[in-house]
Parts: sequence; structure tokens; C-alpha cells
Amino acid sequence: MTEKNKTIKVAFVGNPNCGKTTLFNAVTGSRLKVANWPGVTVEKKEGAAEYEDCSLTIIDTPGIYSLTCYTIEEKVTRQCVMDDEIDAIVNVVDASSLERNLYLTLQLLELGKPVILALNMMDIVEERGMEIDLHRLPEMLGGIPVVPVSAARRTGLGILLHAVVHHYEEGAAGNVLTYGEEIEHKIAKLEVMMQARFPNHSCVRWHAIKLLENDEDVRNEHPISIMNVVEKSYEKEIIQQKYAYIEMIVREVLFHKEKKAAFTDKIDRILTHPVWGVPIFLLIMCVVFLMTFLVGDFLKAGFESVLGWLSGQAGQFLLLIRCSPWLISLIVDGIIAGVGGILTFIPNIVILFLALAILEDSGYMSRVAYVMDTIMGRAGLSGKAFLPMILGFGCSVPAIMATRALETERDRRKTMLITPFMSCSARLPVYVLFSDMFFPGYAHLAAFSMYVIGMGVAILVALLMHRWEKSREAVSDCLLIELPEYKRPNARTIGIYVWTKLKDYLEKAGTTIFVASIIIWFVLNFGIHGMVSDPADSFGAMIGRGLMPVLAPAGLDMWQIAVALISGISAKEVVVSSFAVLFGVVNANSEAGMAAIIGHIHMQNPAFGPVNAYALMVFCLLYVPCAATIGTVKKESGSWKFTIQMVVFQLVLAWAFAVLVFQAGSRLF
Amino acid sequence: MTLYDGKAGISYQVEGVFVEEAVSRRLQALGINDGTRVRILNRKKKGAMIIQVRGTRLALGRHISSCIEVKEEAERGEETAV
Repeated sequence: MTEKNKTIKVAFVGNPNCGKTTLFNAVTGSRLKVANWPGVTVEKKEGAAEYEDCSLTIIDTPGIYSLTCYTIEEKVTRQCVMDDEIDAIVNVVDASSLERNLYLTLQLLELGKPVILALNMMDIVEERGMEIDLHRLPEMLGGIPVVPVSAARRTGLGILLHAVVHHYEEGAAGNVLTYGEEIEHKIAKLEVMMQARFPNHSCVRWHAIKLLENDEDVRNEHPISIMNVVEKSYEKEIIQQKYAYIEMIVREVLFHKEKKAAFTDKIDRILTHPVWGVPIFLLIMCVVFLMTFLVGDFLKAGFESVLGWLSGQAGQFLLLIRCSPWLISLIVDGIIAGVGGILTFIPNIVILFLALAILEDSGYMSRVAYVMDTIMGRAGLSGKAFLPMILGFGCSVPAIMATRALETERDRRKTMLITPFMSCSARLPVYVLFSDMFFPGYAHLAAFSMYVIGMGVAILVALLMHRWEKSREAVSDCLLIELPEYKRPNARTIGIYVWTKLKDYLEKAGTTIFVASIIIWFVLNFGIHGMVSDPADSFGAMIGRGLMPVLAPAGLDMWQIAVALISGISAKEVVVSSFAVLFGVVNANSEAGMAAIIGHIHMQNPAFGPVNAYALMVFCLLYVPCAATIGTVKKESGSWKFTIQMVVFQLVLAWAFAVLVFQAGSRLF
Repeated sequence: MTLYDGKAGISYQVEGVFVEEAVSRRLQALGINDGTRVRILNRKKKGAMIIQVRGTRLALGRHISSCIEVKEEAERGEETAV
């Protein structure tokens, strides 16, 4: 039936959090991030699959509830499915909430393209004691194939691909839903008008319906005079009639639907408690970070010995092959110190991401939006803005991309501005190093306090901005988010998540941090008179000394710190790398390494104590995000002006806070 | 009464949605329309609430819930079960 080497383009479309990406990963063998909260996928992604003689290009789209175009996700997805190159649509449906999911299905059917229904999460349906009539459902949807699949357990995938390959040639289903007489009459009129004006149009009925709904985009693209046909928007009636039809379907195909999902409700009674919700959230985050430090430190010893051995061997080997001393210095003091030091933080990073992955996959994330809504509401943001902020604990780049799920541009920019204050994993090495060096015995507490300060500053900034702009604009307290069922985190999902993050970290160590370490080594070992023996004569020292007066009020008047902070803009871990390179320490994250760094610091400035260190940590927490984050902010906001304002603002804020900490601290202690 | 005045554990029937155009369209897409049954699962005293509608749970902010006009659902035997 199908010709050889034919490529079919298939789009996966469905509601948020119905398992499109899990299914996409299962079918294409990709490893895209999935999690249990709505809005994980914000861009469309492509993958490939083979079935019999057909090759398929599969497109994963952001989840949507409807084919209107009010949010960025909806626009992306709508554009994708309207694209003439799409041969077939796989509508992924969460079978455990069939009623809501079918609304999108009815809209997709009106597009006039072949639709295949992938009934996902049938296992949950069975667990809850519900049954779906798999014969009656396709009958009521115009005879489209309905394939039960389980994306998580990878069942039904072959049947789904079979249905895609064989069904797409049969073309679209006929007209499934007939509206009331008045609307049908108007649709018929509009169809005639459309056909007269655009004879080659592919889905006339859908466009006619959209015109009746007064859809802006469709109206602009089809400037036909509809004044005497459409005297008002029929959107409400059309939606109501769709839902009325869905209620009929559900009545006929779904059995035992009143059985409650008692498990989720029981957990919610505790986790979303009106009083205890916020303390419980803070406690959970507290446990996550303590785990990160405690378990991470426990595993660190192994990494240390490997690195020490490697550095010694490398030095000896280079001596043996008679490398010149400057090359040995570059490799041992520059690269191994800079990159290697960062690698010893891998255990901490893995534990942090493991904990975040479990939180995301369990279904707790969107509850946090609900729990934090009151506090965020005071700052003029909806609780939903807190989701990007939590992602910011992992990495600011995906966090800033996640702001796309917010409704207004104003909320997006505000959230982009405060998200970098959430301590990302790259800042972890800085905290671990300095709190271990200057707060022996209280290291975990000192490091944890950075996370609290970051969150506090983020909310405070939003609060002040809200006060300031209150006079100009109304509040938008429009929290509206779906809360998924709780589930046991999936080992595969978490594995993919942690592995992706670890790979990113290793890549960063191999690229950005590698290059930065080499540059730092050069800047510190060369001066105006060529190679220097004392770094104090180097270019680095010259630049650093220029900034010392500015940093002095914060107790950071050392040229080495200025150099470390500047280089930290490439990636925040580089702050640690620079200290390692500056003082020629092989493993900054070991007792010997730390002792060496303290020794060097005290040689420069004997008074440098815990207060100075704390001011430095605060500065690292708040100052300019890394280059990758700045780039993402530019891309997402589309404005250099906003991006530069943000960078300047964060720099000034970091300086002010560091000065405050140092001045207050040195008077108190 | 509005949904915001509602109590946890009680079912209501939507009588009208009077909120900004954009939000009301989103609510309609989620199936909150005239005549839809909603049930408040959990709520904060002065703030957001969690409702159950068409088999899914939604968190709604105070602004939205106070723009949804509802009436208390007459008790029906099968639906009183928790």
C-alpha cells in the first residue's frame, strides 16, 4: 500500500501533561525532558521513527487545551498543525481525564486532517476501576483509529505507528459534530464565501467555524466581508455545543467514573493545607539542599583522590617528555586545577538534580504554584510564576524559557528578572568551597542560607516592583493551573533527567570552564613585559586592582577576587576555578586545597574572615547571571534594552547587598 | 454567590463567568461554562482554591474564582459520596 522511502510527517498534539513527550521519547528513542506538571515542553521538537517501509518524522508540540491562540504554546502548536506539510495528527489523550481532553480532539477533527487518537494512561484508568468502551468511542468520533497506549510502559507503540502509516492515506474523518441549526446555517454560508475567495483552501469548515468564533488570526488572514453573516461572536455557543457532545460521548463510553482518586486527595489535604502548605514546602526544599551537601560531601572523597593522583601523574609525565615549564604550568595549574576542581562537585550536583527530578515527576510542582499563590499575589504575580523560580534552583537557562507559560509579557519579564536570584547548581561549588573554608562546623547552614536569601531577594524585588507600578496597572492575580495526579516517580524519567543535566555539566566543564581556565592562566601569567613570575605583575592583577576601590566597601578589596568575579560571568563555577588557578591549587575542593587558598588569601589580606567570605557569597548569589543566561534572556525577551537593564540592576543590587552584609557584619562581630 | 464564597467539599453549578475576555476563553476551553458542575476540594481562607471540574483538578486564583457566579448544587444521592 505504501510506497518505499516515503516520509510521513506526524505531529503529536494534546493537552498539557498528557504524556506527549514521554510517548515521543518512546517512539523516537529521544531523551527529551519530561516531568509531571503542565508546561514542560515549550518548543516543538522533531524526531524520527521507522515503521515497515515508512520513515516518519515526528513532531512533539507544547501542550494546549484549545486551538485558539492566546498563549505562546498555543500559537506554536497551532502553527505547527495548520502547516500543510503535516500529514497526520496523533492526538495524545489522557484517558484518565477523557472529558476535558476530548475538547481538543473535536477541534482537531474539524481541521480536516487525518487524526489518530492515542489513548494514553490506560493503566491509571484501570487502577481507578474505570472502563472505556473502545468500540463505541471511535464510532462517536467519526471512525478514527483509537489506540490504547502506555507511554511509560512502552506498550501499544507498534499498533500506534501502524495506525498512522495506514490511516493517513484514508484521509480525514467526516464531519463528526453537527452544531445547532443557526450555527450550521452560518457555517454553510461562510464555507461558500471562503470557497469563492480561496478555492484551494484545505480546511474550509474549520476556518468558517473560527470566523464565527471571531478568531483574530483567521480573520486577519482571510479578509472577507462577513459583516452580514456574523453579527456577533458565536464562540460561547460553539464551545458549549462541543462540551454537550462530549458529555454525551462520556456518558456512553466511560463507566464507573464516580470512583474517586482518593490517594491524590488524601495527600493534597496535607501538602496543600491552608496553613501548613508553605512551611511544608520550605521543609521539603530544606531537606533537598541538606541532602545535596551531606550526601555530596560523603561521596566527594573518592573524587578527590582520583584527581590528586591524576594531577601528580600528569606533572611527572610532562616532566618525563621534557615539556617546557610554562606548558606544564598551563596544564597542571591552569587546566587541571580549573576544570578538575569543578569535577569534584559532581556528587553534589547529581544529588541536587536527583531531588529536583523526583519533585518534578511526583506531581508536587504545580501544587507549589497553588501554595505560593498568596505570597506571590502580594508581589503582583500569580503562583504560576513560582514554577520557573523553582526550576532556577537547577539552572537559570531552562527556568527563563519556562516563563513562556505565563500569560502576560509583563509577568514574564518580571519573572525573568527575579529568576536568576534563585541559586542555580553552578553557584553550589562557590558556596560549598567558601562555607567549608570560613564556617567550619556551620558550613551547611551557611550554604543553605544562600538559598533562603536568594528566594527572599527574588520575592522582595518583585514586591517592590509591584508597589512601584501599582499606580499604573491593575493586578493580575490569575492563577489557573491544572494539578495532575500524584504518581510514583518513574526511574527512567528521572534517569534521563539527571543524566542530561550531568552531561550538560560535563560539557560545560569541557568547554566554557576549560577555555575560561586557559584564559585565566594566561591573564595571570603574562604582563606587559611578557611572562611574569609573580602574578601581581600580570594583566589580571592590573584589571583587578582597577576594581578594588569599588569592591572595598564590601570587604572584597583583593585583586584576585575581582578577577574571579569577572571570570565568573562566563559560568558561575569559574569563580571557583579562578581561585584554584590564581593560587595554583590542584583540588580546591579538598582539605589541603582549602588550606592553601586560605593561606594565600590571608597573605594578601590578614583580616579576611567569615564576614568577608559571606559578603563574597552574597555577591556571587546576586550578581550578573552567567553568559548563557544573559543570552537566553535576550532571546526570550527579544530586547537588548531589557537585558542590559537587568544586568545592570542585578550588579548594583549584588554590590549593595554585599556592602550591607559586610558593613553590618563587621560591626556586629 | 460567587465561587469564591464557596466552601470546601461542596459542589456548585456555574451560572455565569464574568471575567476578562482572555481568561474566560481559557476557562471555557477547560470546560467551565454555564451549567458546569464544579466541586471545591480545598481552599485557603482568602486566596486560591483547588476545584474539581470534568474529572480534573484546577487551582484557581482569588480573582478568577470571585468572577464565577455559582449556585449550590442540589444534593443528589450518588454524588454526595466523598
